[in-house]
Amino acid sequence: MKTKLLFLIICLAPFVIKAQSSSNTCATADGATHITNAGTYSITSFDGTAPTSCFGIVANNGEWFAYTPTSDYLVEVSSDITGNEGKDTRLSVLEGTCGALSCLESNDDYGSATVYNRLSYVKFSVQANTTYYISWDNKYDASAFDFILTETPIQPLSFTEQTRLGGGTLRGAVDMNNDGLDDIVSIVAKNVNDSNVYDINIQEQINGGSFIASFFGNDYAISAPYSAGWSLAAGDYNGDGYNDLIFGDGSGINIVKATNNGTSYAIAETRNGIFTQRTNFVDIDEDGRLDVFICHDIAPNVYYMNEPSGLQYYQGADPNGVPEGLGIYPSGGNYGSVWVDYDNDGDIDMFMAKCGGGPARRTNQLFRNNGNGSYSEVAAAANLADTIQTWSGAWGDYDNDGDMDAFIGGYNGASHKMMSNNGNGVFTDVTATTNLGFFTYTGIDNVPVDFNNDGFIDILSNGNILLNDGNPANMSFTVFTSGMPPQGAIGDLNNDGFMDVVSGSTIYYNNGNLNNYFKIKLVGNGLNKAGIGARVEITTSSGTQIRDVRSGEGFRYTNSLTTHFGLGSDTNIISVKVYWPSNTVDIINNVGANQTITLAEGSTLSTQTEVFAEDLTLFPNPAKSTLYVKTKYNLNDAIYTVFDISGKRVLNSKFGKNNTVDVSSLSTGTYFLRVMQDGLSNTQKFIKE
Amino acid sequence: MTKNYSCLLGLLLFVFACTSCSQDDNYVQVQPAPTSPVSLNLENVPYSTLSEYNFFEGNMLDLKPVYGVLPYKITSGLFIDYAKAQTFVWMPKGSKASYVNDHSVLDFPNGAVLITTHYFENVLPEKNTQMIETRLLIKKEGEWVLVNYKWNDEQSEAILTTEGSFVRVKIEDDNQVKSVNYKIPSYDECFTCHNKYDEILPIGPKPQNMNQNYPFEDGIKNQLKKWNEFGYLDTSTIPSEIVSVVDWADVSQPLDLRVRSYLDINCAHCHSDKGYCEYAPMRFSFNETNDFTNIGVGVKHNFEIEEGFSHIVSPGNPEESALLFRLKSTLDEYKMPIMGRNLQHKEGVQLIEQWINSLKNKTL
Repeated sequence: MKTKLLFLIICLAPFVIKAQSSSNTCATADGATHITNAGTYSITSFDGTAPTSCFGIVANNGEWFAYTPTSDYLVEVSSDITGNEGKDTRLSVLEGTCGALSCLESNDDYGSATVYNRLSYVKFSVQANTTYYISWDNKYDASAFDFILTETPIQPLSFTEQTRLGGGTLRGAVDMNNDGLDDIVSIVAKNVNDSNVYDINIQEQINGGSFIASFFGNDYAISAPYSAGWSLAAGDYNGDGYNDLIFGDGSGINIVKATNNGTSYAIAETRNGIFTQRTNFVDIDEDGRLDVFICHDIAPNVYYMNEPSGLQYYQGADPNGVPEGLGIYPSGGNYGSVWVDYDNDGDIDMFMAKCGGGPARRTNQLFRNNGNGSYSEVAAAANLADTIQTWSGAWGDYDNDGDMDAFIGGYNGASHKMMSNNGNGVFTDVTATTNLGFFTYTGIDNVPVDFNNDGFIDILSNGNILLNDGNPANMSFTVFTSGMPPQGAIGDLNNDGFMDVVSGSTIYYNNGNLNNYFKIKLVGNGLNKAGIGARVEITTSSGTQIRDVRSGEGFRYTNSLTTHFGLGSDTNIISVKVYWPSNTVDIINNVGANQTITLAEGSTLSTQTEVFAEDLTLFPNPAKSTLYVKTKYNLNDAIYTVFDISGKRVLNSKFGKNNTVDVSSLSTGTYFLRVMQDGLSNTQKFIKE
Repeated sequence: MTKNYSCLLGLLLFVFACTSCSQDDNYVQVQPAPTSPVSLNLENVPYSTLSEYNFFEGNMLDLKPVYGVLPYKITSGLFIDYAKAQTFVWMPKGSKASYVNDHSVLDFPNGAVLITTHYFENVLPEKNTQMIETRLLIKKEGEWVLVNYKWNDEQSEAILTTEGSFVRVKIEDDNQVKSVNYKIPSYDECFTCHNKYDEILPIGPKPQNMNQNYPFEDGIKNQLKKWNEFGYLDTSTIPSEIVSVVDWADVSQPLDLRVRSYLDINCAHCHSDKGYCEYAPMRFSFNETNDFTNIGVGVKHNFEIEEGFSHIVSPGNPEESALLFRLKSTLDEYKMPIMGRNLQHKEGVQLIEQWINSLKNKTL
C-alpha cells in the first residue's frame, strides 16, 4: 500500500509542480509561477486576501494569479464556461506593483452570458513582459470554479468586409443628408435612346451604421450626360446646408446641386470637351463662396468661380478668373490637385500632380496663394518639381511638427518620394529614412488617413496601407499589403470613430482597437458650409495635430468632410482651433475624446477675450507704401491679413523678418490690418492714401 | 532636154513637200502637263469649309478625288466604332516624300496633305451612306497642323470644327443593328494621339502600313510604287524587303502577326516612347512586339482596377489579363484605347482572346 501511494505521489508530483495554483496575496502570486499563456485555470478555495482596487465593497477573501504575457495580446478572462452553472463570481484585473495596484478591468455579473448571467468576463489589451494580476473574490459565492484565459495577437490594423447592395460606380463616402453621418455616393448609368446618362444613388448611413450595406439606397434621376468615370467631389457651394457634387469623365463634367433641403438633386452645369481628372470644391479666391476646380488631362485646367451672378466658367489664365491660371500647360497632363496650406500662412495653396509627356509637361507643380488674389508656381524653389509621373500626392503632417508634408506617388514602380516640409516653404527628400524603399507599387491613388487612431497619419496607397510608425524623427512607415482595402472612398461608415473604406461593391469596416478618436464637423456661414479649406488644429498632451478640410483628395473619390483625428491613449484635448477660410478663428478648450462635435463658425468668439500683442500700433497712419507694425512681441511666426471696408481679404502673408506690410498696391481708402498668431489676433484700422 | 524636166519635177515635188510639211508642223500632238486643281494656300489654311480645298470632283460625298489626290489604304485599320475610313494624299507639284525607315512615318514635304474621311454605311432606316468627318494633316513650315471638318446633315459640305461633338447613327453591320454615338474628337483629343512630346505627327503613312496593292484607276499596283511613279515618293533609299504589318482581319495570316498589327494601329501611338502614356511598360509598335514582353505577356499588372488582374497578359488565362479587360471595357476610366472608341470592338476582343489562349504552354 505504502509503495503504491508513494508511486502515486511521485507520478502526480510533476503535475502539482507544473500547474499554477492561485496564491493568497499579490506578493505570493508574484513569487509563484506566473500564467504565461492561454489556458484553463482553477480556483479551488478562497482563503487569501481580497482585492480592494476595483470594487467599493470588499469581499472576505480573494485568490490571486500573476499573468505575464510573452507578446502583445488582446486578452479575455472568463468564468462564463460550462461547469459553472449557478455560480456567482467576481473578477478584478489589476496592474502596477503589489504595493501600488490600480484597477485595469473588473466584472461582477456579465449579464448577457452564455452559461449563466452571474459569471464574469473581461477583455483587455496587454503588453509583452508586463505583469498583470488576476484576482477573484468570494463576495457572492465561495464555490470552486475554473476560468479560461485566451490571448489574441493584436493586429495593428484589420478590416471586415461586407457587401454593399446597390450598384452604380462607387465614388464617395460623405454626409449628404446633413445628419452628421457619412453616406455612400454612387453614380448609376441608365440607357436612354441607346446611350448612357447618369443618375445619383445615395445610401444613407443610419444611426449605428451597420445597416447601411443592406439598404439599396435612394436613386435620384437627373440624367446627367457625363459619368463620374474619372472623379467625383462633394461640397456645398450654394449654402443650403447640403452637399453638392462635381463629377466628370473623358468627355465632360456635371455640377449637380442638392435641392429641396437635400431631398432631390438637379443639374446646375454641364460642359463638353473636358477630359476630367481630379475634381475639387475649394474657395479659390477666398471670397467666402465655394468654387469648383477641375483638372484637365489634355488642355489647361478649367474652373468655375462662384460669383453672385452664378457659376462662371474659365479655362487657364484669365484676368476675371485666376490671372495666371492654375496649370496652363497647353496639352495638359494635370492629374491630381490637392488643396493644402503648405506654408501655414492661412490661405489655401495647391499641389498639382502631373503625368505624361515630356519633362515640361509632367513636372509637378505647387501653386502658392499670394494672399492677394493671385497664385505663383513655386515647385522648383520648394524642391517639389518632380517628373516621376505622379497621379496623386498624399499631403499630411506625418511627423506632427505643425506643417504639411507630402508623399509624392510615382507610377507603376517608378520611385515615390516622401518630402518633409522644412517649415520655410522648402521640402526635403526623406524617403531614405521612411523604410519605404522596397515599396514600389504606387499606382494612382494616395490618401492620408489615421487608420489605427494612434495620432499619426497613415497612407492608403492602392491596396496597401503605409502605417505610420509614430516616430517623428525619421518619419518611417510599416507597409501592410495583404488584407488591406483597395483604393476607395474613406469615411466613418459605422460611426465608431475609426475610418472605413468603401470601394466597388464592398465596405471595408475598420476593426478598430482601443485607441481614442476625435471628430469635428464644421458648419460654416455663407456659401462654404463644410468649411472646405479650413485648418483644424488639436493639441493634446502628446502634441499637436493638424488637418486641412479637403473636398477631393487622392485621385478618384471624395472622402468624409468631417475632420477625423486619432488620439492614441490621450483622453483630453487641451484645445481645438479652427481657422476658417473666412478668416474667423474659433477656439474650444478641454474637449473629451471619443466624440464628434459640430462647430458653427464664429460660435466661440464671445469666449475669446485674449488679444495678441495688446500693445500693437501701426504707423504711419495714413500710410502710402509701407505700414510698420510696432509691438514688443516677436512677429516672426505671425500672419498679417488686410481687409477692405467690406470685409474682403485683400492681402495675406506671414511677416517673416520684418514687421512691415507693403500697402503700395492698395487703392486709397480705409482698411483693417489683423495680426494673428496661434489663433489669437489683434485688428487695427488704417488708411491708405 | 531631159535635164530640164528632172529639175522641174524636183522643184514641183519640193514645193509640194514643203506645203504639206508646213501644215503638219503646226499641229504636233504633245499633251500639256496636267495640273492638280487642288487649292492649297498655306498662308490661308485651314479653310472654313472642306470644299474650298477642291480635293474632290462632282458631289463631294462621293469622294471622287481630283487629279493629284491619290487614294491609299493602310493595311490594318483603326477601330472607330464600326465607321469606315477612306484616306487620300496630296502634295504640291514637284515635291515628294522620302523614306525614313519601315516603321516611321514618311518624311513629307511642306504643303503635303493627308486626308481621312470617316463615314458609316448602311445607316438606317434608308441604309444609305453618311459622311461624318474629314480629318486633315497639313504640313506647313516643317510642322504638321491638325484640322477637322464636320459634315452637315445635307451631306453637301463639311465645316471646320475644333470642338468635339457626338453624332448618333444606327447602322446595319454584319447582320446586326448597331447603335453608335460616334464621337468627333476635339482639337485637344486629336493632338493627344497625334503627338510625341508635343510634336504633331501623322500615324498611318508608314511603309510597314502601306506595303500592299491598291486598285488604282489605271490598275492594281503596290502603293509605294504608285507614289513613286506619280512623283510623290523618293524610293531610292527604300529597301526591297519592308517589314510590314498584315490585315488583322485576314484569317489566313499567322495569329501572332494579326495581333501585333492590330495592337500597332490601335495602341502604339500612345504606348511608345514619347507617346501620351510612355510611362506604362507596354510598347505596342509592330517593330517592338516580336518581343512579347512589350505586349505585357508575363508582366505583373500594377494598376488599380476594381477586380484584380495578375498580369497585363497572362498566357493561357484571358480572364486574368488586364489587357483584355481594358479592350472589353466601355467605361471611360478603364477602356483602351482611351479615346477614339466608345463601343467594344467584338472582333478585336475575339482576336486578342484567341491569341492569349494560344499562349498556353508556349515557350515564349
